[in-house]
Amino acid sequence: MSLKKQDDMDHNAWLKKQDLTVIETAFLTTLIWLDKRLRIVDYLELLETMYYRANMQMPKSHTEQYDLDNKFWYWYPLYSLGSLSIIAYLVAAVSGALLGFYYSPSTAGAAAQGDPTAAYDSVVMIMTDVQFGFMLRSIHSWAAQFMVAAVFLHMLRVYFTGSYKEPREVNWILGVILIGLTLLFGFSGYVLPWKQLSFWAAQIGVEMALATPLVGEWAAQLLFGGFTLGQATLVRMYILHVFVLPFVVTGLIALHVGIVWVQGIAEPH
Amino acid sequence: MTDDTTPMTDGGTDEEARTDGGPPATVPPDDETPTWSERKEHTSGLAQLTYQYFERSRREDENLRAESTYVERDVLGFPTWPHETIRNLAITSFFVGIIILIAAILPAHYGEPANPGATPAIILPDWYLYWSFGLLKLNPINPNLAVLGGNIAISNEFLGIIAHGIVFGTITLVPFLNKGGARRPVEEPFWAAVGVTGVVLSITLAALAIQNFFPITLDLLLTLTFMLPLVGGIITYAVLKTMREGYMYDLNRRYYMLRPPK
Ligand code: HEM
Repeated sequence: MSLKKQDDMDHNAWLKKQDLTVIETAFLTTLIWLDKRLRIVDYLELLETMYYRANMQMPKSHTEQYDLDNKFWYWYPLYSLGSLSIIAYLVAAVSGALLGFYYSPSTAGAAAQGDPTAAYDSVVMIMTDVQFGFMLRSIHSWAAQFMVAAVFLHMLRVYFTGSYKEPREVNWILGVILIGLTLLFGFSGYVLPWKQLSFWAAQIGVEMALATPLVGEWAAQLLFGGFTLGQATLVRMYILHVFVLPFVVTGLIALHVGIVWVQGIAEPH
Repeated sequence: MTDDTTPMTDGGTDEEARTDGGPPATVPPDDETPTWSERKEHTSGLAQLTYQYFERSRREDENLRAESTYVERDVLGFPTWPHETIRNLAITSFFVGIIILIAAILPAHYGEPANPGATPAIILPDWYLYWSFGLLKLNPINPNLAVLGGNIAISNEFLGIIAHGIVFGTITLVPFLNKGGARRPVEEPFWAAVGVTGVVLSITLAALAIQNFFPITLDLLLTLTFMLPLVGGIITYAVLKTMREGYMYDLNRRYYMLRPPK
């Protein structure tokens, strides 16, 4: 093979041969200049492919082909429940991040049993002193409850439309994991203000863990930081709620929706 | 080249060989990217199996596409922008608006500070965990499950944990127990009945969790907890089974003409 520059790759010569207007010449010269340095053409091609994918000529869907639309339109809102879970999750994430500026995960400050702790006081502070704080806590709490409700209902819609069948089993299992983690999100958040009900809900949690054979004590130590509740419990719940779960759940939701993207939504028949 | 038979310096006559004097070059030396099937031949074991499977699955895909009776649309799909995007923005704003509205009119509740020394009369999680809390209150049926002469075989707490395992395990197994192409509840009355039983059970378990608020005896409540779901399931089954015939006639005409039921 010759190392000499091949003539058909000489774009400038090719450019001269064409009968082009000034604008066309300027455009092509710029494009060639940029492309030599940045491989622009590759990206243009990608964009073009994306354009055609987005506006693709789709095959007629089952619903259209058999004219089932008149029978099904009233089910369609149920198909937005998954998206509503995500939206509620995002609202909870944003309001939660703002709450995190003021909350402190500490049981310090209680002189006697039943006195308010630092965690409890910081929530009181959010509700009474922080601008808009009362509303912020309310939004966070309601966003969480909307998310759980949407996830429950989403699961029911998937069940009753038979959408979990082959090839969507993996997404169903991912969903079961997600609903478990969503409930754990709620539970760990419920413990954080360290109010009376928080404490006793966590107490039940520890007792359940301890009642499990073999792994029980290990689980209690991992999740609750010991067999009796205290500072360690609060910090573990806090880390679970604001660090571990957000990453894991966000990742799993991305995977879940990615699989839906690849497989397409199961149509009702 | 005017004359193909002109002898070259080494006495050969092959035009192609002129460049470097080597053997006839059918493949340029710098273009040796192996083809798909060449790669397949070079590999062995698992890699070869993988290639073979890829080829099979691609062929299968092509066959399915070729056989498909799908009709092309004569319009383009909805563009992502602006149709889909604006619709999604509208739904999102509406939903977020509702969350904020409810948060404003029903502010979050706050309670007493934690007191490890005083157990409150009523311990409750948030409403969405009531069902789970109900599962922990199944201890009255524990003695019934005991094998050894009325002794309690497992602790009440562990019974609750097993119950959770059963619930999550059953839900996980659903896609592996119910197979086939049916989608509508009428097509599979049994599975619809199972679903309704589950939904009603989650509600009755929640009621069991807040048993203190019900003016009925615990025995009755426990019975109802398990009977109501069954009743719900049986009614669902009966109704769907009755509807089924007329519905399936329609379905068969519309749909199963091209795709026979499994
Ligand atoms: C954090 C919780 C969850 C999120 C954010 C989520 C999100 C989504 C979204 C956006 C879709 C697209 C279709 C739709 O919106 O209906 C979807 C589909 C699906 N989800 Fe979920 N989901 C969650 C939990 C679950 C649960 C608990 C299950 C079941 C146990 C589940 C099983 C499925 C299945 C099987 C599909 C495919 C359905 C189809 O193709 O029609 N997901 N999910």
